[in-house]
Amino acid sequence: MTELSAAIAPLPPIPQESTPDSDPQPQSPSDLQRAHLSGVWAFVLLECLIFSAYFVIYMLYRMHAPQDFSRDQAHLSPTFGLINTLLLLTSSWLVAQAVANARAGKFRSALYTTYATTGLGAVFVGSKLTEWGHEIHHGFTFLSSDFFSFYFFLTGIHIVHVLVGFIFLTIALVRLRGTEPALAALEAAAVYWHMVDLLWVIIFALLYVVR
Amino acid sequence: MQTPTTKRLLLAWLGLCTITLGAWFLSTEGAPADTSSSDMLTYTGLAIATVKVRIIVVEFMEAWRQSKRLQRVFDVWLLLLMAGLALVYALGLDMPTV
Repeated sequence: MTELSAAIAPLPPIPQESTPDSDPQPQSPSDLQRAHLSGVWAFVLLECLIFSAYFVIYMLYRMHAPQDFSRDQAHLSPTFGLINTLLLLTSSWLVAQAVANARAGKFRSALYTTYATTGLGAVFVGSKLTEWGHEIHHGFTFLSSDFFSFYFFLTGIHIVHVLVGFIFLTIALVRLRGTEPALAALEAAAVYWHMVDLLWVIIFALLYVVR
Repeated sequence: MQTPTTKRLLLAWLGLCTITLGAWFLSTEGAPADTSSSDMLTYTGLAIATVKVRIIVVEFMEAWRQSKRLQRVFDVWLLLLMAGLALVYALGLDMPTV
């Protein structure tokens, strides 16, 4: 536990990039803001551990009935999985770009890329709900089989995390539009959003690729 | 003009998209015909996911900026998780099917 606390403890401020962009005021988060960011990292690590348990439980269930799981898995559309993954990867790239822009003092660019991130997140949720509708229309529900119970549970709990990510992103957007220091809020939102992305990468592998 | 950070992020995103397309191709065109190819597909899929998660943690999350120990914690977590998933899958191969 001491090791973990030491791992998320903030380092001294990092030298900022300087650019000739308009409003070139690189921001350096205060100690308090860095402490908040450390809290977000701790939260992210905890979430990763909780999801790890879900993933291992899924594999344990799969271990006992691999043929049933493979049969049900064949009803999923890998193309939906591909589209959803590309949407989240792109949104993750955009929010990383937003953080880089904010660190360089380009807050307007950061604002636009954060809007784009939120937009792609919304498209992801829409695409996921469409996929759910497609499966339910074909008679596959939460109670159809073990595989579909896990499918709806894992993707459902992931969507809940995407929605929490929207709250983080909205706070960052409000800060970017206003006069309050925005970098720490944006960094916290970005760290959380990347976690949502990396968890999806593993869910995609388990539900769509593993046979 | 692209800064080094912008270029690095763009390359990471392009790499992730390319790897994802590879995984998608595996899950469609490379659909397993027998058990051994199914094993190979599973291990490859898990390896691809490991690489993607590491790229996200290093290039996008920049855990190393917070602290190098945090980066190591993520590396250990990822390694243990993926090794654990592969191990459970491998154990399942030896079990009699119900």
